Amino acid sequence: MTTLQATPPARRRRQLAPYAFIAPFYVLYALFMVVPIGAAVYLSMTDWVGLGTPEFVGLRNFADLARDTSFHKALGNSLIFVLVSLFIIVPAALLIAQALNTRGLRARDLFRVTFFLPMVISPIVIALVYSLVFDRQYGLLNSVLRALFGAGNTDWLGDPTMAKVSVSFVLLWRWVGYLTIFFLAALQAVPRERYEAAELDGAGVLRTFSAVTLPAIRPVTAFVVVTSFIGSAQLFDEPYLITGGGPGEETLTVAMFVYRSAFERQQFGYAAAAGLVLFVIVFGVSQILNRLFSIGRIS
Amino acid sequence: MSAVTTARPEAATQPPATGNRPIRRYSLTGRILLYVTLSALLLVFVAPMLWALSGSFKPRGDLFEYPPKLIPSPATLDNYRNLLDSQPFWSWFAISVITAAAATAVAVFVCALAGFAFAKYRFAGKRLLFSVMFSSLSVPFAVILVPLFILMVKSGLSNPWFALTVPWVAPAFGIFMMQQYIIQSIPDEILESARMDGASEFGIFLRVVLPLLRPSLGALAVWQFLQSYNHFMWPLVLISDTDQYTLPLGLNILFKAEARQFDLVLPGAVLASVPTILVFLLLRRQLLEGLSAGAVKG
Repeated sequence: MTTLQATPPARRRRQLAPYAFIAPFYVLYALFMVVPIGAAVYLSMTDWVGLGTPEFVGLRNFADLARDTSFHKALGNSLIFVLVSLFIIVPAALLIAQALNTRGLRARDLFRVTFFLPMVISPIVIALVYSLVFDRQYGLLNSVLRALFGAGNTDWLGDPTMAKVSVSFVLLWRWVGYLTIFFLAALQAVPRERYEAAELDGAGVLRTFSAVTLPAIRPVTAFVVVTSFIGSAQLFDEPYLITGGGPGEETLTVAMFVYRSAFERQQFGYAAAAGLVLFVIVFGVSQILNRLFSIGRIS
Repeated sequence: MSAVTTARPEAATQPPATGNRPIRRYSLTGRILLYVTLSALLLVFVAPMLWALSGSFKPRGDLFEYPPKLIPSPATLDNYRNLLDSQPFWSWFAISVITAAAATAVAVFVCALAGFAFAKYRFAGKRLLFSVMFSSLSVPFAVILVPLFILMVKSGLSNPWFALTVPWVAPAFGIFMMQQYIIQSIPDEILESARMDGASEFGIFLRVVLPLLRPSLGALAVWQFLQSYNHFMWPLVLISDTDQYTLPLGLNILFKAEARQFDLVLPGAVLASVPTILVFLLLRRQLLEGLSAGAVKG
């Protein structure tokens, strides 16, 4: 009798429990993500210097953005960093993971851990170390070049192309070890029989890679690609700290454009509009990628 | 294919067996080439860090000597002394560590709890709620930067103790990671038998699930701490009072100062990095395996 009565509340509690368990996330999600995005939509349609009442201006901020060459520059630069990240850093991570996955490799852990190390260091520390490395007169890089080749006078941070190359290099240095971890774990999970079968079929290195390795690591590749896309599209720390967006606006990214509009020029509405443009692009593209690769689904 | 649920627990943690039947015998030169390349890469990775470390012990005039020397001679602790005497370094350090530790402690609990719900319960709306949670990973911070800043200031909460902790205690990445790990490592039978014994659902989480999660909780904690400790953009916008500066902000003003005080900046950089590097080295296995476990699917 008592057990019969006890069952319904127990079952009910069991049905309600998961909602209670995920509630903290959704409360914070609503307060610190949904509300701010809503506020951004409102702000983007106003003119506001941070004091007084925001003045409603409709879609004028977006029209201004469409004509703002600085914003175009920022979009272009962010795109460059996204491409660098997807087509240089991600493949480099896969290559390193392949190398580390070589059978019988000694000191695998030493390599793995060292390559990951930049990821635990603060961006400000990385930035100040690299601004010393890249310094034209006294930097480590030019000193080494001078010592080795007798010539080293490249203006790593002052030349428009070199500044992008330098920032990209720092991104590579910082992220590649992190992404390697994911690829390495995936490669280690590929069943050995598949390689043996490929070898019996007389497949070469490249053929084995495209027929065995790539399909097997597809889910991880998808995860890495999406993560890298999201991370690089909203790049801020490295260019802000190392080049300040310069020379000129050659390394200005969209996130820096948002920061500059709001906190250096007090154009809060304009900054919110630029932020929304970035949001629509990044969110839209990653939803498409997630669909495409079926990431983040649950049964 | 449901990518998320078919993960294999052994995949991420097992190093490849060094069996006796090598698939492809690499030639000796191939092997030497591999070691040379990896070692060269290793050098590229550590050289800037070692150079900065060595620079922090060099007298001001030797910082930019040519050719650059790795071992400082003479070595001096003056830079460290000057930094600690002239700057509120320990205050920056304390604010960074305390806010990061507080955010981490709560985040680990919240993520494990939500991850448990997504991993082990069936409930109406689960698919939708999960994809809402997961899609929040693709919201760029720049879109909420301005409105969140305004909301914090307007509501009088723009102090580091609130603004650097509370908004960040439920990271979606952590929930995803925990959900993956719980699916892989906690069998349903344990939960059922705990229920038979009359345990409440929350009791099951506290006394059965949490203890079994310990290794991945460590991984999540390290990750979350690093994220919080190293966060730059949000504190940069939020904190204007120099008494409340975090470590990255403090180093930033030294770095951005007119005279580029590299003799103060370098020891600061070293002191700021030592704790995170130590924690990482101590927990490296847990962290690296915990991070990749979620993403590796069969």
